[in-house]
Amino acid sequence: MSSRGATAADPVIRVTGLEKTYGETRAVDGVSFEVRAGTIFGLLGPNGAGKTTTVEVLEGLREPDGGEVRVLGVDAVRHPDELKPRIGVSLQTAALYPRLTVTEVLELFAGFYPHGRPADELIALMDLGEKRSTRTQDLSGGQRQRLSVALALVNDPELVFLDEPTTGMDPAARRALWDVVLGLRSAGHTVLLTTHYLEEAEVLCDRVAIMDHGKILEEGTVEELVRRRFKERAVRFDTIDGLPDQQLAAMPGVSSVKHEDGEVLVYTADVAATIGAVLGASEALGVEPENLGVRRATLEDVFLDLTGRALRD
Amino acid sequence: MRALLLLTVANIKSFTRDRAALFWTLAFPLIFVVLFGSIFSGGNNDRSIGFADLDGTPAAGQLRTAFASISNVKLVEKPEDELLASMKKGEISAVIVVPKGYADTVAAKAGPAQVTVYTDPSQSQADGATRQLVGFVLSAANQAASGVPPAVAPDFKPIQTNDLTFISYLVPSILGMSLMQLGVFAAIPLVADRQKLILKRLQATPLRRWQLVGSNVLMRLLIAMFQTAIIVGVGSALYDVQIAGSWLLIGALILLGSLAFIALGYVIASFAKTEEAANGMTSVVQFPLMFLSGTFFPIDAMPDALRTVARALPLTYLGDGLRQVMVDGTPFSPLWVCFAFLGVWLVVCFAIAARYFKWQ
Repeated sequence: MSSRGATAADPVIRVTGLEKTYGETRAVDGVSFEVRAGTIFGLLGPNGAGKTTTVEVLEGLREPDGGEVRVLGVDAVRHPDELKPRIGVSLQTAALYPRLTVTEVLELFAGFYPHGRPADELIALMDLGEKRSTRTQDLSGGQRQRLSVALALVNDPELVFLDEPTTGMDPAARRALWDVVLGLRSAGHTVLLTTHYLEEAEVLCDRVAIMDHGKILEEGTVEELVRRRFKERAVRFDTIDGLPDQQLAAMPGVSSVKHEDGEVLVYTADVAATIGAVLGASEALGVEPENLGVRRATLEDVFLDLTGRALRD
Repeated sequence: MRALLLLTVANIKSFTRDRAALFWTLAFPLIFVVLFGSIFSGGNNDRSIGFADLDGTPAAGQLRTAFASISNVKLVEKPEDELLASMKKGEISAVIVVPKGYADTVAAKAGPAQVTVYTDPSQSQADGATRQLVGFVLSAANQAASGVPPAVAPDFKPIQTNDLTFISYLVPSILGMSLMQLGVFAAIPLVADRQKLILKRLQATPLRRWQLVGSNVLMRLLIAMFQTAIIVGVGSALYDVQIAGSWLLIGALILLGSLAFIALGYVIASFAKTEEAANGMTSVVQFPLMFLSGTFFPIDAMPDALRTVARALPLTYLGDGLRQVMVDGTPFSPLWVCFAFLGVWLVVCFAIAARYFKWQ
């Protein structure tokens, strides 16, 4: 038996030096992080970054090659059976019985646990009322995803794993799912989610870890990650011919200049002084800067800076 | 236990909503029984032989009586040319012509009287039977003509065995074939569930692997019972097929056979990576089993090489066992060979599947 004497202060998830190799590929290469109880933790990264492998080790579905994994105070590698009744899982590809209806699948899964939640409750929560008697093979991608999340909640789990939960959802359904996830946190549950959508991570996650090539590149709150990389904000406007980068870089407070889709981004520690200088320089050229504005760096900028590419490439 | 039963019910629901699975496990064997049954039932084994008496004497009449008295022979008397015409149409299998002057030749002892016999050597079985039959009757006639009492006479004592009509051979054979398909086809949904990550998702629940496998096996055994009821029921309702042996033995054979073939299905699922591959592999396995295991014709009728193959196949033993119990009422003591052989297949397939089956 593993020790069950976890106290409230102990993290719900503690991963130390996790490694998993497939053939030549190091899918997970020394990953360590912690997730505190009652928080939403986001694992971000492009496809093939190692997110799903990491999550599946935590769920007790895969054996790692090295490292230590404690989930809810249980050794997830050695005692996955102790863990399974207490976690909820939504896999990246919603895996369901194609010829069973929504209600039938929910009732089946509820039957695997000592205290399964009633199907009606979950159907209402995930707004699947109109589809309760539809076979899962006839559901749309977004509906299937909602059912998959409903199945993850069927045992009222202490810890919920959501692997790319909003993939294939329209914006309205995505926002509805965000409310469900935030509701889970309010009710004291812990959530670990992986996502492609940085906006989703900004809205939902208390802390995020950015993964690429099997490693965690950066970890912290969204605010921390942004401030750690981008101490300045950016003044932006449409590219003006005859206004060279050297001139922009010499303006007060400016640290760097970037170009993005016909737009100039001037990173600066002194926004007001920089805007004044830009207006002065453009007036001298006899033009007015179009779409002048100030941009705070986002997770997207952090990601671009860390990996050299946008997340959804 | 509750999880196992719930999963079994879910499996049965999935199965009954799968038209292809329903067709292969229930409709297909039924079509076989009804189709073959209507072709072969009611046909009697009597042989029609044409008899043309051109002599018209009492001696020729004796000959006719001798032929007519042979059981299973139906004598058709018509003019010679009409008989030959109906033999060419396949209505009768041979024609015997007693020539004019037969009685005189016999009485005069002027060398053997010729009795013309038309047979068709292309129908080797009928041809042989006709030759034996004619030889037997004529040697009796020779012997009578010699005036010496026979030194040796056969004393035929019929022993009544169950009437093995083709349909009563077919019902246990079709049942065996259906159980084989039911088991081997277990591979397809299993591989599909793995491919669709359903197996992986189930593994994230407290469900144990034995419950998963158990529900799968339980469902197939229930369907096997259903299949048995349908096939035997239709066989006895439409064609009056009787069950001679003990239902306990039949049940035990069905159980062991189904388990062996389900294990074979798991072996296929261990090596097929996609649903399409599983489909192909089940076909590759099921068709030789279907045709080489004595389902449609006895393996004794096969060439030696094929017979050796047939003797290694599990369906040969399931089919043979079922035929022996259902038709002949054979008890366990000679049947244990079938049980032993199916048991070996079960253990070997189970071991292979346990070693190579992957859950993800």
